[in-house]
Amino acid sequence: MNSAGKKTLFYLAITFIAFAVIIPMMYLINISISSAIEVNDFPKRVLPVLSHDLSIEWDDESSYYIISRKSFSGEYEELTYSSKFDKIETYLITYLNISKTEEEIEEDFIVARNTGDIIYLNYNKDIFNNFGKFFKVFDGASAALVNSIQAAAITILLSMSIGGSIGYALARTKIKGKDAISLGSLVVRMFPAVSISVPMAVLLVKFGMYDTMLGLAIIYSIPNIGLTAWITRSIFMSVNPEFEEASLVFGASKIQTFKKITFPLVLPAFAASSMYAFITAWNDTAVSLLLTNNNETLALLIYKSMGGSASIHYAASGAILLILPALAFTFLLKNYINKMWG
Amino acid sequence: MAYLELAALKKVYGKDIEAVKSFNLKVDKEEFIVFLGPSGCGKSTIMRMIAGLESVTEGNILLEGESIIDYQPKDRGISMIFQSYAVWPHMTVYDNVAYALKLRKISKEQIDKTVKEVAKISDIYQYLNRYPNNLSGGQRQRVAVARAIAIKPKLFLMDEPLSNLDAKLRVSMRTDLKRIHQELKTTSIFVTHDQSEALSLADRIVVMNHGYIEQIGTPNEIYHDSESMFVAKFIGSPPSNFLTVKVKEREDKIFVIHSDFELEVKNKYKKALKNKYINKEIILAVRPENFTINKKGILKVKCNIIEPQGSHVVINIFVGGEEIKVVSNILTLKTNEEIDLGFSEKIAFFDIETEKRIR
Ligand SMILES: Nc1ncnc2c1ncn2[C@@H]1O[C@H](COP(=O)(O)OP(=O)(O)OP(=O)(O)O)[C@@H](O)[C@H]1O
Ligand SMILES: [Mg+2]
Repeated sequence: MNSAGKKTLFYLAITFIAFAVIIPMMYLINISISSAIEVNDFPKRVLPVLSHDLSIEWDDESSYYIISRKSFSGEYEELTYSSKFDKIETYLITYLNISKTEEEIEEDFIVARNTGDIIYLNYNKDIFNNFGKFFKVFDGASAALVNSIQAAAITILLSMSIGGSIGYALARTKIKGKDAISLGSLVVRMFPAVSISVPMAVLLVKFGMYDTMLGLAIIYSIPNIGLTAWITRSIFMSVNPEFEEASLVFGASKIQTFKKITFPLVLPAFAASSMYAFITAWNDTAVSLLLTNNNETLALLIYKSMGGSASIHYAASGAILLILPALAFTFLLKNYINKMWG
Repeated sequence: MAYLELAALKKVYGKDIEAVKSFNLKVDKEEFIVFLGPSGCGKSTIMRMIAGLESVTEGNILLEGESIIDYQPKDRGISMIFQSYAVWPHMTVYDNVAYALKLRKISKEQIDKTVKEVAKISDIYQYLNRYPNNLSGGQRQRVAVARAIAIKPKLFLMDEPLSNLDAKLRVSMRTDLKRIHQELKTTSIFVTHDQSEALSLADRIVVMNHGYIEQIGTPNEIYHDSESMFVAKFIGSPPSNFLTVKVKEREDKIFVIHSDFELEVKNKYKKALKNKYINKEIILAVRPENFTINKKGILKVKCNIIEPQGSHVVINIFVGGEEIKVVSNILTLKTNEEIDLGFSEKIAFFDIETEKRIR
């Protein structure tokens, strides 16, 4: 292909990524910091709005302040009127996400009354307001966050330890039919976890693990163990056997060699492949919908909360909360892997 | 009693891959032995059996008179340098060298002292706190050496330790290895398929082929007194020249007859030829430097190609349709010049069937 063609393809790809990933992401972030009033704005803005332009006018006859907000078209639209600063304070935080104290508001607004002119103010939004609200509006959100972390941690632990052991066996022993086992472990991955959760629900109830994070993690681990075995097998195979042999020759037993040489060498790759386990557990809603009752995961709670349009901005901030730990986990891993392999 | 003895050692992989076939060798203390042979002849397999990384199919390995074949690798007191160096990438150079010492439960001060001592010997003292990824191939190789000598091993095994280095470094590293051996006098076995490495390092060379020993001897013996055509061909660059000749007896004199020349055999081999080979074909082997030029020779030939090598020239000559290579220090020879070629005393004969030396 010529270079012009390549360039075109490149820009096409970039544009696609922009539309497919970045724009929805920006949109989500924007909604997650939207105030109640902005939720109903149309057209919606793609770039996040961090402050409000307000105009304050003192109505001498009725003796109250008229508060207006600059809309998308640039005109000021009246929002409300009031003479009581405590009422205004409540209004600002509830509908506009602006957190100002009574005193601050009085100090700014009094100018309009003293001069008789319309004054224009630019108030910053409190972008964390929705996140706090999310935990208040959806009770159980913080419990769900803890649940999600638990489920993800147990899933990682289960699939890495079991899958890793199988991977090691497949890489370093000469058992017959190990190719079939490797392939089989991938086939397991092809079944959606939901399909096994219906029959598993019965089993989990029997073992008293219904509605527990351990039960959920076990279901998440089943497809992941196969995938982990497949990945770790190639990780172990990529470790030069001479590293292990050198350790044996220089005085270590087989177990010491595994602990001091093999395991540290595969750890970065192990950590990287734990990403899959994490994501399976963290993002799942279908399985936890079936297998939990009171102990929801965060993803499920957010999924359910998307319903009411009045609280869509809180749900959006919940979704951001769901993304953040995944991002943090990924970046920590990336740093760690860079440090080990960089 | 030999320090190390390999007795009828045999290794069969799977059902029928015979990598080593009845290998016998006695090594003295402080000796530097080199295994030399083409790829796949079983050199690594023997090393791995000595180190305990590979099981022994048949035979025995005795170190200081004691059989070690049932010992775990860690209990054999043997050090090894691997072809890939096998310097652990997740440990600093210091920790690499100290690894074996820590496992031996030696006190911290003693470990520190030993690590620094061997680091100085192998010239890596300034890199002790680095990770191997930040070292060059040659430096990593030195770390592997330091790690291996730190435990004061009974036996020091090196499996093609220089093959991953560039040509120049390889030569300087081998001098260092020789110096270290002269200092520490650790009994060593060194594997290579590079003959100049073998010749320059070894007290004795074991030339191997297809799991067999072709010859064991000092570098001089191996070169000047090759036991088999394989050795004569494998050692030396250019290698030995082979000419097929027929043995004739005339009036109590023994001649070897070639279509282009006749040579009277006067040396110690006369008797052996007379006893067994009259009227039979044998192989006459002559090393390239064992020809005479323009000194009462026995055949006139044309210099076909001349390759100057600085200190000497390599001449390609056709004798009876076969190409031979002659090394000469007459630097003025010209292409197509006719010369008078003769043989020096140092010629050897080989049986055409067994390919073994006729003595
Ligand atoms: N694990 C194994 N399974 C089966 N055959 C093997 C195994 N290891 C080695 N062999 C065979 O045994 C023979 C000797 O191998 P070895 O590695 O000892 O050769 P080598 O002399 O070290 O060669 P090189 O110079 O290439 O390193 C070879 O034919 C090889 O194919
Ligand atoms: Mg080898």
